[in-house]
Amino acid sequence: MFRNNRVAWFFVIPALSFLLLFKIWPIGVSFIESLTMTSFTGKKTFVGFENYTYLFKYDPVFWNSFWVTIVYSVIVNPLIVISSLLMALLLNGSHFFTRFFRTVFFLPTAISFAVVSVIWMIVLDPYYGLANSFLTLFGLKPQPFFSSTAQALWGLIMLNVWRSSGYWMMYFLAGLQNIPEALYEAAEIDGASTLQKTFRITLPLLTRTMSFVLVANTAFNFLSFAPVYIITKGGPIGSTNLLMYESYKSAFVNLDMGRASAITSILLAIILVFSFVELRLTRAKFDY
Amino acid sequence: MRTRGVWKAVALFSVLAIVSLFFIVPLAWIVASALRPASPLYEYANPLTWRTFIPSKITFENFVHIFTKLDFGRAILNSLFVSVSTIFLTVIVASMAGFALAKFDFRGRQLVFTIVLITFMVPFESIVIPLYVMIKQLRIDNTYWALILPGVANGLAIFLFRQFFAEVPSEIMEAARIDGASWLRIYWRILLPLSMPAIVTVIVMVFMFQWNSLFWPLVATHSSRFEVVQVAIASHRSTENTSWANLFSSAIAGSLPPVLLFLFLQKYFVRGISGTGLKG
Repeated sequence: MFRNNRVAWFFVIPALSFLLLFKIWPIGVSFIESLTMTSFTGKKTFVGFENYTYLFKYDPVFWNSFWVTIVYSVIVNPLIVISSLLMALLLNGSHFFTRFFRTVFFLPTAISFAVVSVIWMIVLDPYYGLANSFLTLFGLKPQPFFSSTAQALWGLIMLNVWRSSGYWMMYFLAGLQNIPEALYEAAEIDGASTLQKTFRITLPLLTRTMSFVLVANTAFNFLSFAPVYIITKGGPIGSTNLLMYESYKSAFVNLDMGRASAITSILLAIILVFSFVELRLTRAKFDY
Repeated sequence: MRTRGVWKAVALFSVLAIVSLFFIVPLAWIVASALRPASPLYEYANPLTWRTFIPSKITFENFVHIFTKLDFGRAILNSLFVSVSTIFLTVIVASMAGFALAKFDFRGRQLVFTIVLITFMVPFESIVIPLYVMIKQLRIDNTYWALILPGVANGLAIFLFRQFFAEVPSEIMEAARIDGASWLRIYWRILLPLSMPAIVTVIVMVFMFQWNSLFWPLVATHSSRFEVVQVAIASHRSTENTSWANLFSSAIAGSLPPVLLFLFLQKYFVRGISGTGLKG
């Protein structure tokens, strides 16, 4: 370590200014903005927590979005964690084909959410989509997918599993590499089966990775925007109107920055609560 | 014992092959559809035959159309310009800060480090609305600056550089100091050339972020002059009659750069992941 305050600050200041200006400052602005109301003339007035109380007391659109977002997260997050974990377990070996499949599963990560949305919108098109062709091929009834209030949210969930599983799989693969080989050798000497090894060694030792993936993925999915914007626009009848999209509409369609900022702040609070609960639930009970 | 291992491998291979269909089939179908003439784009999806995935006549007319008639080339160039500028600024700014955080003990170091950690835990989408309010006040909304500057504020990049520089032995720098080199020279001539792996990781990370972003460009700009790739793709959807041919071909053309980068530099994608502090 060198000691030279002037030199050190010279190197730190450019990056620090960017962080303060474009990250820290907006977080503060967001909260202040949520305490104001903009009149028709564009004049801002301080209203305290009125935006929040209004949302909670008189805003059925907000409540609908709130519940849609909660349901969406509670389904999509465990689903992604399970699918990425299973994929990682399947690919943890060193066969000549594992590299190839790793690339295939990881590939959707390189494709933007906008494009992934376009792909799934067309695959799940009720009239021309590939999904219904497969269903009819197996003698099943074609489904309405995104044009049905019961199925639209499931369409978004499917899309997200397709796009994100490979990404989180990489974290699990990194976690699996860190488990000492000696543990498995010892278990083999004791005559443990593959299933026993998975449940008694691998999964318990992956808890730390699992809680990271769960928390990071939760924050990420609470902020889903592109699929809603491109495919459903929140419909049909608000069934996919996630909070992030509602906040966007509030800010840039209805020009109500106060309401939009209040929704974003609530969203951040929900993310904090969820992360905290998830960290508690997945806390590792031992170390290695 | 030997044959049992082979059968296990065959079973594993079959399971993986079936799972991979879920990832490959939609992509194969989109590519096949975009290579068909614009009118019968959909004809082959139902009923399902091998024709669904292999066009009888391959044509690039849909791609020619989006570049000559819809100015998709402009969107590609915009995205390229925004990505490259952001990468350039981020590599300089983040490596400087990473160097100071790794090698200097200075007043306020702990505070700076805390700010870096906070900022890479706050997801970008959550500050889009206040960020818009801010760039409007700065009067840089609807400019390239609005697209580039927020992308440079990247705590994760600083963290990656810090981790990398912490491994570089301080003796090299001490020796250079004795030879009379300035700190700026040490940073520029010794550390930066050494940190190629970290630089490539950051380049890949920043490129993917900028090239694939939709929400922020949608909010920060409104002139077609500044339309980036993802916004252009989304706009092909939101016009009155969605043109499937335009949508397919722009989605594929817009995905080629990141997918190619991914296939050639996969190692660095993974490094970005394992460098995020997961290892113990």
